[in-house]
Amino acid sequence: MTGIPIEYYVLLSAGVFCIGLFGILTRENALMFLMSVELMLNAANINLVAFALLHGTLTGQVFALFVMALAAAEVAIGIGIILVLNRNFGSVNVTDAATMRW
Amino acid sequence: MEGFLELAPATALLPLISFIVILAFGRQLPMQGAIPGVVATFISLVLSVVVFIVVGQGYTYNEDIYTWVAGDEVIELSFGILIDPLSSLMLVIVALIAFLVHLFSVGYMNLDEGHAERGGLPRYYASLGLFTFSMLAFVLANNLLMAFIFFELVGLCSYLLIGFWFTDKAPPSAAKKAFLVTRFGDYFFLIGTVAVLATFGTAAFAGSDSFPVIAQDIIAGDISETAIETFGFEASTWFTIVGLLILGGVVGKSAQFPLHTWLPDAMEGPTPVSALIHAATMVAAGVYLVARMFGFYAISPTALAIIAFVGAFTALFAATMGVVKDDIKQVLAYSTISQYGYIMLGLGVGGFVAGTFHLMNHAFFKALLFLGAGSVIVMTHHQQDMWKLGGLKDRAPITYWTFLAGALALAGIIPFSGFWSKDEILYDALAVGLETPILLVAYAMALLAVFFTGFYTFRMVMLTFHGEPRSEYAESPDPVGWQIQLPLVVLGVLAVVAGFVNMVPVEKLTGLEIAYLYQWLDQAWLEQPIPETAAGTYSALVAQELPSADPNVLLPALIALALALGGALLAYRLYSDPEPQRHVDELGSVGHVVEHNYYQDEFQVWLAQGVTARVARVADIFDQGVIDGLVNASSSISLFSSEHLKRIQTGVVTNYATLLLIGFLLILLGFGIYGGWF
Repeated sequence: MTGIPIEYYVLLSAGVFCIGLFGILTRENALMFLMSVELMLNAANINLVAFALLHGTLTGQVFALFVMALAAAEVAIGIGIILVLNRNFGSVNVTDAATMRW
Repeated sequence: MEGFLELAPATALLPLISFIVILAFGRQLPMQGAIPGVVATFISLVLSVVVFIVVGQGYTYNEDIYTWVAGDEVIELSFGILIDPLSSLMLVIVALIAFLVHLFSVGYMNLDEGHAERGGLPRYYASLGLFTFSMLAFVLANNLLMAFIFFELVGLCSYLLIGFWFTDKAPPSAAKKAFLVTRFGDYFFLIGTVAVLATFGTAAFAGSDSFPVIAQDIIAGDISETAIETFGFEASTWFTIVGLLILGGVVGKSAQFPLHTWLPDAMEGPTPVSALIHAATMVAAGVYLVARMFGFYAISPTALAIIAFVGAFTALFAATMGVVKDDIKQVLAYSTISQYGYIMLGLGVGGFVAGTFHLMNHAFFKALLFLGAGSVIVMTHHQQDMWKLGGLKDRAPITYWTFLAGALALAGIIPFSGFWSKDEILYDALAVGLETPILLVAYAMALLAVFFTGFYTFRMVMLTFHGEPRSEYAESPDPVGWQIQLPLVVLGVLAVVAGFVNMVPVEKLTGLEIAYLYQWLDQAWLEQPIPETAAGTYSALVAQELPSADPNVLLPALIALALALGGALLAYRLYSDPEPQRHVDELGSVGHVVEHNYYQDEFQVWLAQGVTARVARVADIFDQGVIDGLVNASSSISLFSSEHLKRIQTGVVTNYATLLLIGFLLILLGFGIYGGWF
């Protein structure tokens, strides 16, 4: 491992994760939700790749690939849900979809 | 020859097949389903006679056919067949009566316009088939649980048939009453059955490991008491308790005091059904059960004494009520209760043969009397009130003469069948009573009942058949067909001759060996005897507990005969006028009480409404207030808390995410503090 020490990667990952978390906690637009979730997933990916590099194994990188595939699937389904949400409520605001609670 | 015994289940299954066939195709069949019923019971009769003959050749049969609960460490439950002299005899009796009743029903239900136009005949014949099946299977049962199952089925069929004309007011209520009252007794029977299974681990009637044999061995000391579970009682006490529990079912089904009240009401059913219920099925099932497991009762003198007293009291009690009835079927109903009282008395004093003998004779003459009454009813356009009959003697000779034979048998006049069996029961009661004086009371009650029996029997005969016709229908009765006359003649002959199979007094006086029924039940001549169900075994067992004296045979017989004749002659004197008078009023208040059946029904209604309903109401308050109150109070806590806690379910994703995050941070904090990170 040359150059950049592991702490920087971890800090970057934590920063990206917190941006994603902030998005989820503050935004009401479902599309922004989806993007925030992507950010959090990629924060995890950065961690995985960084530690794989640190330990000199491929396991973490393979994991990151899996997470990307999962993220792609999640987006496909998420977009579908958002479309239906829009059709039923006329908006993509997540606070509108509260009719199935008690 | 022995292989024929494996055909025995077919005797029971044929009526079941006829039940299914009639149920499915009854409406399309000619005669509304009568033909399959008559044919099936006829083949059953033939088969049962074959079984009887094979047993006569010396073979018996006791096998489990189908085990429906099996496994290690569990009590095995099974259906099986037990054919010994007792069950083969009963098989013939039931099949014969069932066949004759089916045949009679053709005349009574199909050919009588009044009955035929009311319809429902397929239902009638289907129920009749199921009834016959249940009783035959009950007779063949080789264990108590199977007997219980078919005992219940018999009760169900009687419910269906008593309430056959369900559009009228009375029959459905009579059917319900019959069902509920007998169910009340059967409840105890069920507990008794479970107790037998829990105690002995088997409910088999016969075989070296059957429950009566185990019980006998324990009483005799051959097996230690610890081999079985007696629930903390002494073995003999526990056997008495179990025996009395099972007796509950017997008292209900055989209409013994105090559960007899359903039987007079059951007269609402069609008359052939009454004949079947009283002679061969239902009511006979109760006493047959006592006879079947007599080896168990024989070791308990207390249970025997209770059986004897219940029987003797019922015999007298019912006979007095029969004296004042106006409806011909009501008189017969009370005579049935009374006669089954005799059978119980006979069994209770250890007279296994005497009881079985009277059971057989009673089956014949009571079926005859009911069918005779049915014949009268058909002739006179459904006239049952004896005060509206009269003068049928010359107008319906076959009915009259056969009815008279049945009446003489019922009254116990020599040489008709009832005399021999009733005399034997009374003799056994006297013999035991001389050694155990308290049983003399039972003997005295039974003896007094003989007088009343003679009286009410001949009061019925005189009012129905003698004197002048007292209604236009009795004036010109309709002719009846051969379907009605043939059963009457067959049973009439049997009512005359059936007694000759066991003339014990003649045997004792002359030394001839002519007590054939005793020999039959004693099994001494069998190649494969089942010794634990032999009459000799039973009498030896009873003799250990209830010793019997050996009084003169002639004197008791003469006393009983004199009493019966006295009753009959008194009835003849009182009611032989062409225009007989009611004499009930002369009895004053006593007659009033008797006419109301000693207010038994009122008493039971009071018991239900005045006592049980009130107790139930208090129990209901306790149940609603305390039991349910506790449950409701505890559930109200969770109801209250969940009512408030559900508010956090906002339905907004952001809130959930926030809660998740807070939760995660709290866990992290917790781990941090307890894990020593800080």
